[in-house]
Amino acid sequence: MIGNVYQTVCPGCNMGCGLYIREDEEGALLVDFMKSSPANLGKLCRFGMKLPHHYSKATSMVDGKESSVEDAIKAASDRLKGANVTMLGVGNTTNEESLAFSNIADAMGTVVNTGMGVYSELPTECHPTVGVGITLDDIESAKRIALFVDPYVQYPLLVRRILAAKKNGASVVSVGWKDLHLADENRYIDPDLYESELGLDSESVIIADVHPNTDPGWVKRMLNLALKTQAKILFMKPFVNATGVDLLCKGTGQKGIPEIMDGINEGSIKTLVILDSDPVELMPNSDVAAETLKKLDNLIVITSRDSPVNKMASIVIATEPLCAKAGSFMNVEGLLLNNSGEDTAGIDAMSALSQNLGGAAMDYQELHNTVLESIVKKFTKPKYKELACEVLDIGPFEEKKGNLIYLYNPFMWFDQSDDNDFVMVNMNTVNKLGLSKGGMIALTSDAGTVNMRYRVEDMPDGLILTAKKLPVATGWTTVVSTEAV
Amino acid sequence: MVNVGDMLVGYATDENVRKRGASGGLVTAVLAAALEKGLVENVVVMKHINEFEAVPIITNDVDEVLASTGSLHSVPVNLAKYAMGRKVAMPAKPCDAQAVIEQAKRGMIDLDNTYIVGLNCGGSMHPVTTKKMLVAMYDIDPEDVVGEDIEKGKLIFKTKNGEEKAIAIDELEEAGFGRRESCRFCTLKIPVNADLACGNWGVIGDLAGSATFCQVMNDKGVKLLENAIEAGRIEVEPASDKAIAIRAKVNDVMVNLGSTLEKEIFPDIPDKERMQYYMEQMEDCIDCGACKEVCPVCACGEDSKCTMFHSLVDNYKMSMYHLVRLLHLSDSCIACGQCSDVCPSDIPITLLQSRFAIPSQRKREYTPGMNVDDVPPFFEVILK
Ligand SMILES: Cc1cc2nc3c(=O)[nH]c(=O)nc-3n(C[C@H](O)[C@H](O)[C@H](O)COP(=O)(O)OP(=O)(O)OC[C@H]3O[C@@H](n4cnc5c(N)ncnc54)[C@H](O)[C@@H]3O)c2cc1C
Ligand code: SF4
Repeated sequence: MIGNVYQTVCPGCNMGCGLYIREDEEGALLVDFMKSSPANLGKLCRFGMKLPHHYSKATSMVDGKESSVEDAIKAASDRLKGANVTMLGVGNTTNEESLAFSNIADAMGTVVNTGMGVYSELPTECHPTVGVGITLDDIESAKRIALFVDPYVQYPLLVRRILAAKKNGASVVSVGWKDLHLADENRYIDPDLYESELGLDSESVIIADVHPNTDPGWVKRMLNLALKTQAKILFMKPFVNATGVDLLCKGTGQKGIPEIMDGINEGSIKTLVILDSDPVELMPNSDVAAETLKKLDNLIVITSRDSPVNKMASIVIATEPLCAKAGSFMNVEGLLLNNSGEDTAGIDAMSALSQNLGGAAMDYQELHNTVLESIVKKFTKPKYKELACEVLDIGPFEEKKGNLIYLYNPFMWFDQSDDNDFVMVNMNTVNKLGLSKGGMIALTSDAGTVNMRYRVEDMPDGLILTAKKLPVATGWTTVVSTEAV
Repeated sequence: MVNVGDMLVGYATDENVRKRGASGGLVTAVLAAALEKGLVENVVVMKHINEFEAVPIITNDVDEVLASTGSLHSVPVNLAKYAMGRKVAMPAKPCDAQAVIEQAKRGMIDLDNTYIVGLNCGGSMHPVTTKKMLVAMYDIDPEDVVGEDIEKGKLIFKTKNGEEKAIAIDELEEAGFGRRESCRFCTLKIPVNADLACGNWGVIGDLAGSATFCQVMNDKGVKLLENAIEAGRIEVEPASDKAIAIRAKVNDVMVNLGSTLEKEIFPDIPDKERMQYYMEQMEDCIDCGACKEVCPVCACGEDSKCTMFHSLVDNYKMSMYHLVRLLHLSDSCIACGQCSDVCPSDIPITLLQSRFAIPSQRKREYTPGMNVDDVPPFFEVILK
């Protein structure tokens, strides 16, 4: 064969969209459609289509200088021996690499944090339902769907599932930030009214999401809604293997990324080891995250791609591109998806690191077998796990603090540019501020000012939505003042 | 001695290839011979993954070509783009061949360097729909399928335990399964636009199931066959009048069926409602650009008319992207169905493009992808 063809899964989110990556003789990458893929039938969203643009190989480095991977492993081992280490792996890589990473954590007497702090705030009985919800196929036979995400922007491959449900007679209510074309009703109501106003019952499905910056109170609210109405629930997730790492790292601390950043700022975390997880990309404000990471004594990055954190790392251990890896992923509905790649460089590197740190040697096949035994047997093609917990005490539910809201989506999680350098506002805001057609709106927060183009949407007064990370943001919601430019 | 216009029946001399071949393994043998005798530098074939999945590959390895036997009815790819910029031989359904010719008109493929071994096509199916159909209609576990065939209007699946089950395609399509929508109204079933037109229609008598019917369409077809005969890879004999008549008759039936279905698939929309109709259909577009990327007749690069005037910041009911594409493809759309297949919002984009393009193409008595010398009615620049 001329060039290479990899059967792989899109890293953009946890939908599990199968695709081919073609590599031609010159090494140029192209996306090709894998129509037999069960999660997406070969279809891809805007992020999936642009995937080749996001692939950029990582280079091994020690203290800012290019090095061999062996030297990087040796340097990492030296710095990790006896150190108090925090580890982060959000699930941007295979189950097998995640398991190898977790074995290294064992060898050092620590745990891998998945960055999803919300899990540690939820009773363990409801983890299975938050981890693996209703199947994507089952969405199509729901009678009513309550949407707490914007599928068009955030999880685009949901759109066809919801439209299919509508064809089958479902009604759709959106409780989001802006009107959705596919929703029969767009409601902006007080959360206390969800149960009485949304018309949900045991034939309904609630679609929400969890991610590193999710408010645990919000997730509890969603779970309570499901418990009280008997509706089934699906939590969408970012990161190609978010479900896999969650299952593999069960029972661990599950520190959120914001908590880790706080730990660094407070000085309690001095050494951070990350596996394909870039806090600069993942935190709402890249500049603030970068400043925080600079405070670490040791930042050790094991990664398959070049991303901002590599430039700040003490050591980078570069692994092969995601599509070339041998390994598997688990998508949001608990389906195991295999890569066709056969490269095990990442696992070999982690095996060497593990041995240097007094742990065991690891090989791919062994890890893969453990993955099959430990998570796949229990979770592949699961029946929906009815919620096993009691109605939860939400506690002091954090009021949304700001009027600028992040509509998280794959481009945002990877901080990749797209044709999305605009914010969304409603017509009242346009009139009130006197925004001119084609003009700009200035957003000012404690973090500074940015001028943005705007697009008009049907949405509540005063809100500003963005699908792109902005330097004025301080969290997933931010208080900003606005004026016409 | 082979001549243009010959109607032949033939098969691969390698028993293994003949046995594994969809009908007689002739197509594989012709492609392999083209590669080993240097007629071409590469061959495009399907690398099988399973019954429902295969990936097009470009290869210079004869063994890989020989391993690619068999027709995959549930792998609806279009192969034209894999032929670009190379000296290749390739199998081609009629819509693959149409796309190759459209690309040649736009200077992206050199037809002198591209040998097209056409495959008759009664239609292809979507793999996931096929798996669902197997469970719902055949009571067969998709994992147990080892082969499939289309015979006398029936779709037959063979299972691991040697059983066969056949159901009429009409029945399957009434139940919402069967061929992709674009294949149902397609009326080009024999690839007369290719260099050779191969199929199993017209293979009768003792040879039924173990030979390929082959019509020689042009001088390149002559070269392909003579080359394969010389290489000792195929044997051919003239088709009987009866075989030729049967092939023509089955083709007529399929073409008429396509025309009938076209009327069902495209009910009239009053002029006043047309704009509204297109807008509503496109309203769930998520701007992924997959329909352009997959389009086998699109010869524009990343920066093109349809993308040039489109921006996500514009909140139009129907984007400039779609408006431009409707116009731009009106003389080149071959209704191959690729764009509908890959649309993440399940917009029936092929039907929309076709509804727009077919009347305009008919008005100008022009069918895209049939002959490289047919100038598209709206061609702005004639490339020399
Ligand atoms: C989707 C489809 C529908 C068909 N329908 C009919 C029909 O109704 N009537 C009829 O007479 N013949 C039909 N054919 C052609 C027929 O099945 C045989 O391919 C033909 O008779 C040649 O047989 P062979 O043994 O010489 O081919 P082989 O030697 O087996 O070679 C087959 C070649 O087809 C290629 N191929 C396989 N699947 C595809 C695909 N999906 N798209 C493009 N290329 C592919 C393979 O790479 C290989 O090169 C169809 C073929 C396909 C792919
Ligand atoms: S980002 Fe998510 S929805 Fe989009 S193609 Fe990738 S996996 Fe699918």
